[in-house]
Amino acid sequence: MGELEVRDLTVEFDSGGYKVRPLDKLCLDADDGELVVLLGPSGCGKTTLLSCLSGLLKPTDGTIRFQGIDVVGLAGAELGAYRRKTVGVVFQAFNLLASLSARQNVMVPMTLAGVGRREATERALALLERVALSERVTHRPNQMSGGQQQRVAIARALVHDPPLVVADEPTAHLDHIQVEGILMLLRELAAPGRMVIVSTHDDRITHIADRVIDLAPQSPNGNRADVDVELADGQVLFEQGDRGDLVYAVVAGAVEIYRERFDGSEEILTCVGVGNYFGEIGPMLNLPRSASARARGATRLTAMSVRSFRKRFPMTVADARKPSV
Amino acid sequence: MLGITISDLLYRRRQFLIATLGAGLVFAMTLLLAGLTAGFAAEIDQTVSGFHADVWVVKTGSAGRIASLAPMPEGVALQVAREPGVRRATPVVILPQTASVNGGLQQVNVVGAPVGSAPARQPLASGTEVSGPGQVVVDARLGVGAGATIAISGRPFTVVGVTQDRTLLGGTPNVYTELRDAQAVAFQGAPIISAVVVTGVPTSIPPGLAVFTTTGIERASLGQMATAVQSINNSKLFMWAIAAVIVASLVYVTALERTRDFAVLKALGASSGKLYGGLAFQAVLVALIAALIAVVLAQFMTGVFKQPVDFPASAFVVLPLSAVAVGLLSSLIALRRAVSADPAKAFAG
Repeated sequence: MGELEVRDLTVEFDSGGYKVRPLDKLCLDADDGELVVLLGPSGCGKTTLLSCLSGLLKPTDGTIRFQGIDVVGLAGAELGAYRRKTVGVVFQAFNLLASLSARQNVMVPMTLAGVGRREATERALALLERVALSERVTHRPNQMSGGQQQRVAIARALVHDPPLVVADEPTAHLDHIQVEGILMLLRELAAPGRMVIVSTHDDRITHIADRVIDLAPQSPNGNRADVDVELADGQVLFEQGDRGDLVYAVVAGAVEIYRERFDGSEEILTCVGVGNYFGEIGPMLNLPRSASARARGATRLTAMSVRSFRKRFPMTVADARKPSV
Repeated sequence: MLGITISDLLYRRRQFLIATLGAGLVFAMTLLLAGLTAGFAAEIDQTVSGFHADVWVVKTGSAGRIASLAPMPEGVALQVAREPGVRRATPVVILPQTASVNGGLQQVNVVGAPVGSAPARQPLASGTEVSGPGQVVVDARLGVGAGATIAISGRPFTVVGVTQDRTLLGGTPNVYTELRDAQAVAFQGAPIISAVVVTGVPTSIPPGLAVFTTTGIERASLGQMATAVQSINNSKLFMWAIAAVIVASLVYVTALERTRDFAVLKALGASSGKLYGGLAFQAVLVALIAALIAVVLAQFMTGVFKQPVDFPASAFVVLPLSAVAVGLLSSLIALRRAVSADPAKAFAG
């Protein structure tokens, strides 16, 4: 158990009428002073997790405890206080207010929290000095480089000296010189009294991390042998949103491929018969399943790794029959 | 939050300036229309009070509208003069006519009263009072000065004096002349009058006649303008609506442009109420600055109208209050944007 405990965190939402589950029973722990890196490609749930950690998004299920606070259970004024005092957020696109100078942007959270103007100004100037932007306090965002804007965003996230700082793809819009500066700053911020959680798809950051959490782990079944799978009528093989590393070929019977709508109804996409295969796109692209699969009648399948699949079906992805899951 | 709001306003100053000028023009028109309706009442008050009457005696059945009083024999004035309580009874003629002025035709109100009588004495901007036949004192809006010649119903008159603020029927200038001359142009010389202007208060009057107070005459005369006043008031409502649409459009577009800002501000701890408060403040500020611009513009725009424009003091109180109402109503259109801003959207790249 650490200072941060995430248990069975699940987030579902409606995407064009379909149910999407970017986080499915996620568990993680982290300790005070750690620089935690959430690693994974786009769409793996990094930003969703940060939104939940910062109290901006209610998960569908699961718990988050930070310093003993039940974050998911917070509401109203308590939630507002948690957002303001406990978490500092660094957004991917900086999200500075274009009409305000660097100093004014850093002052915004303090202004909203009712901190006096003089005190807020002094604090903002001190923070901008800390992120090496003393020379840019009067500059507006459009007068600063991406790295400088990100430094202002980090300074803004630190105004209440929060014990948790979350940063969403903080290096996404920066060149390599700026990346180095931002990474060193984040590394420096992760110290006793403050945990820093950074989401990224750039694995270079992992070298300076205390803990790396891979939200889209690679398949452990890359070289496994093909196996037979028996399914009873109506038995579900996998569900939409599941992560899977196997491709299936139908040996006997048939498999229905269907999508779950957000309202609970189903949409049948196709029925895969003997000699055909399904479920190759998710494992090949390391994406969650985009549809569910269920046996129609007693069914026998061959489950194979992606490597085995490419050997048995040497066609391009574009040649594959649709829909793929 | 106020500082953030003002900074945003300055950042979008061009947008705000355009909307403020647009709303200011519309507010100026609204102010002018208020001035026009007030002008109708003011010209009637000035003309009627210029007769120095305690009461007016007119023919029974007459509505009391000063520019369309029913004619009656001049002898009625002598009968009224004999009634108890009457200190002086002056016969007057008041009738719209067409005058030939500087080669063109103009509508005028011919006012005839005996030379030297109270109704004949108007405050003069220049020249002298009418002292005999063939002379007139005219309102400055007729556009001629002392010494000029005008013709009414083919009879030439010499302008001997010019008065001011003596008009009726929405800026139609009055022309004051000797009673006989007025009867000559209005009634082909017949001894007919429009009313008897009385000093004192009669306790009884001869049959077939009715008494109006000065206030009664003014109210009845203003009723003659009721349709015009109603039309102007309706136009004012349209003007307020146009101003509201201008301010609302600005606030809505601003809210659309600031959707991301709202999400970020919410993520940083701002409440929906504070966000809406900022929008409402901007809308009210725009409307109030527009009202200020309108007050200045309206002074320059009065020259466009031939009718008398009299800005009532109340208009300068009502305008900013209405501007605040317009601003608040306009900002409601952006309320949903502020309330529905999802702080989690701040994470979107």
